[in-house]
Amino acid sequence: MTNDTISKKKFMEELRRYEKGSVTRRHFLHVTGLGAATAVMGAAVPGLRPRPAFAQDIGDRAILATWPNYHDQANFDAFTDKTGAAVQVNVFGSNEEMLAKLQAGGSGWDVYVPTNYTITTYVEEDLIEPLDLSKLPNYDPAAFDARFSDAGIVDGVVYAVPKNWGTTGMAINTSHNGGKAFDSWKQFFDRTMDDYSGRTMVHDYQLTTIGAALNYHGYSFNSVDEAELADAEKLLIDVKPHLFAITSDYQPAMRSGDAWLTICWTGDGKQLNTDIPEIAFALGKEGGELWSDYYAIPKGAPHKEAAYALINFMLDPDVNAREVLAHGYPVADSRTNALLPEEILNDPILYPAAEKLDALEFGAAATLTDPNRAELLARFKSA
Amino acid sequence: MRLYSLVVYVFLYAPIAIIALFSFNAGRHASDFQGFSVQWYGRALNNPFVMDALETSLIVAFITATLASILGTLAAVGLQGLRGPARAIFDALIYIAVMIPGIVIGIATLIALVTVFDVMNPWIENLWGDAEGAPRLSMGRGSLIAAHTMFTMALVIIIVRARLGTLEKSLGEASADLYATPLGTFRQVTLPLIAPAVLAGFLLSFTFSFDDFIIAFFVAGSETTLPIYIFSSIRRGVTPEINAIGTMVMLASLLLLIVAQLILRRGDRK
Amino acid sequence: MTQRARNWLLIAPSGALLLVMLVLPLSFVFVFSFGERGPSGGYVPAFTLEQYANLPARWTAFKNTLILAPLGTLAALLIAYPLAYQLAVRTSPKWKTLLLVLVIVPFWTSILIRSYAWIYILGGQGIPALLGSIGIENVRLIYTPFAVTIGIIYGYLPLMVFPIYVALDRLDMRLLEASSDLGARPATTFLRVTLPLSVPGVATGCMLVFILLMGEFLIPALLGGGKVFFVGNALVDLFLQSRNWAYGSAVAFTLIVIMLITVTIYMRLIARLQTGREDVAVM
Repeated sequence: MTNDTISKKKFMEELRRYEKGSVTRRHFLHVTGLGAATAVMGAAVPGLRPRPAFAQDIGDRAILATWPNYHDQANFDAFTDKTGAAVQVNVFGSNEEMLAKLQAGGSGWDVYVPTNYTITTYVEEDLIEPLDLSKLPNYDPAAFDARFSDAGIVDGVVYAVPKNWGTTGMAINTSHNGGKAFDSWKQFFDRTMDDYSGRTMVHDYQLTTIGAALNYHGYSFNSVDEAELADAEKLLIDVKPHLFAITSDYQPAMRSGDAWLTICWTGDGKQLNTDIPEIAFALGKEGGELWSDYYAIPKGAPHKEAAYALINFMLDPDVNAREVLAHGYPVADSRTNALLPEEILNDPILYPAAEKLDALEFGAAATLTDPNRAELLARFKSA
Repeated sequence: MRLYSLVVYVFLYAPIAIIALFSFNAGRHASDFQGFSVQWYGRALNNPFVMDALETSLIVAFITATLASILGTLAAVGLQGLRGPARAIFDALIYIAVMIPGIVIGIATLIALVTVFDVMNPWIENLWGDAEGAPRLSMGRGSLIAAHTMFTMALVIIIVRARLGTLEKSLGEASADLYATPLGTFRQVTLPLIAPAVLAGFLLSFTFSFDDFIIAFFVAGSETTLPIYIFSSIRRGVTPEINAIGTMVMLASLLLLIVAQLILRRGDRK
Repeated sequence: MTQRARNWLLIAPSGALLLVMLVLPLSFVFVFSFGERGPSGGYVPAFTLEQYANLPARWTAFKNTLILAPLGTLAALLIAYPLAYQLAVRTSPKWKTLLLVLVIVPFWTSILIRSYAWIYILGGQGIPALLGSIGIENVRLIYTPFAVTIGIIYGYLPLMVFPIYVALDRLDMRLLEASSDLGARPATTFLRVTLPLSVPGVATGCMLVFILLMGEFLIPALLGGGKVFFVGNALVDLFLQSRNWAYGSAVAFTLIVIMLITVTIYMRLIARLQTGREDVAVM
């Protein structure tokens, strides 16, 4: 295959040139050997593809369950070119949904992307495969910031390896607040019940919405204490008549100007801010969520060899760097960061100041399984 | 009256017009128009996952609609002559079939089939004698088609039966008096009369299956249908690519429709 | 072959499908509704009535559904009937099929994409902006029960138009001519001849729309902004978010029972309305 004849360094150079626009897409594809991958229909119909001999036969496909706008298609094409396995991507909206589908059985996934706080639950439910690290030579534990990689290790066993990380804060259209962003969940809810009435959105999702209401009262984002949850519930029900919507799809309303304020993830905050500079992304000073996503293999994955090959491929720093350039979420891998341009590494939305990060908490497994938090959200939505 | 119909058609097509308009948006976000471009059409057509999902949806919807129309029409005719408890039970099942919310049938089917497959697969392997090469039952297009057909078949039965109920019994009797075989009566008398209902049933079944999200979400296994693809990609903002897909599907349907109409007209003239 | 054997043969394939894809899955749900939620969600076998005792926690969802489903059905009927009448009775055969199929064509574009178009039309840059330009300021349409009603009418119109059209289409034009020859005014002809003949279609349409509305969740979720909560939304949350299968099964079963009761009463009413007629073909 042609891409074996091009060095990684050369590949990155070509990629930069292509991104800067100094070479055409065709030139880029030709030089890097990705051209063959553009025979997309061939990849989609595995039986029709000519099957060249690959170093190792891993089958014709790998099925990946992941989040939206979270990958670079060119990387998947390169993977197919290298190994002969096409990557089929299934996109999900919440960890709860992924867990629900795996619990029901018959998902057919080979690789999925759980968030830190769900991994212990998958282990307890016996839905996740312990990883055979000998098949992941690109995984170097020393290269990862432990803060964003240790949730993948449960009782000393590595079940998942780090993908990206990020935060959950708020996005605010500052043109209705004299150009100033909010800096606390107290402001978020108080102003919603005042001059931002009818302009605020919260997630349709227990962790962050209940978490923000708990932060308002100065409680832990992860609390499952009944009295504290009762305070959060009262706040949410008081706020509900002032809400524009309860939705995790908040970009359109922020862009159209119908909504001015929303709970927001890093990547969305970055995208909104890039396109509409008056929309600022801010973290609440009381706290909020810090998260990290991982690659993992579900129990009973039908194409396990392809799963390992895909994870290993995505962990290659060059590939990972291209991923970051495509989706804009930070990684915890120092090898990858060494390849990233300065302006990304210095972006305050992607990489908030250390003292702001210190106030945040990782989501706790208990919130995922706590029946009271689930019922609270149902009462809030039906109120 | 004509004006009224026009208003209803405007109501039906206004969102379609909006979708088409924004599919030519040069910007990345569907509801923020930044100039004219056709780039999203190219992107959609070059996206293997869109094409894969479209292909799956078309195959599933076509097979579903065909099976549902045939099984449903046969059952509607058969039920005409059936009385007693068997009829009552069948009627109740049809009611329940159309009544059950998609979410319930989706999750219930998934749980039931996964359990059944887990029991059947070792059994098949035994029978096959070779654990590696044995066929395995799993969730996928088959289970999705079965779930869609179950629901849409019930719809077809209801629609065809409403039509059958309005037919004169005497027509069938007259046909029998003229020594027509039951099959002959069905082909020459009943079928032409219920054909519009069967066609309506086919279209409804196709539409339902092509548009269904929630049953497919549970039952399709690792297959991705177009609604599943769309649902997951619009979660964080609709890109004009989705609009381009919607517009193309729409235009393709209209084109098919016009071709079908032309063929029917030519048939009429002969 | 006897007539009886032939009838059995005709219904056998659909009967088998109903058995495997309906009776079997529902038996699982029925059993689950007496179970308990597992520690991490899912289902643990048990025999308890706790899930049913807990139903009042979803009362609001049931109430919203039981109010909006009949209202939505009525609204869809009022809009669909004149259109179906126009298509079946007043349109030349040349255009009939085309115009009828045009009713369904928009539905070959995903309801998800079309709902997003409605979000735009009802959102700040759409109708409220138009109203603003003629001096009516600060109209909020999107993410309200009104938006949900619009979405419901839009989403269910063809289901209502089709059966009414089918019923009116076999209307013998000579009946109408006879009626007017006998000196009946058009309104009288409509009330005495056309309307009664279309009752089976109306009944079928209303039933289909009502039944599907009872389990609707996408339209309230997308156009209600998550603030309009139907039983369907409660079920989606129970199975996909809190993964409480036992409680979800109990809510699902209760919904099915409520629907069975409502529909049975409804059919009795229709049958009484049509007493003496052979062709009561509601379902």
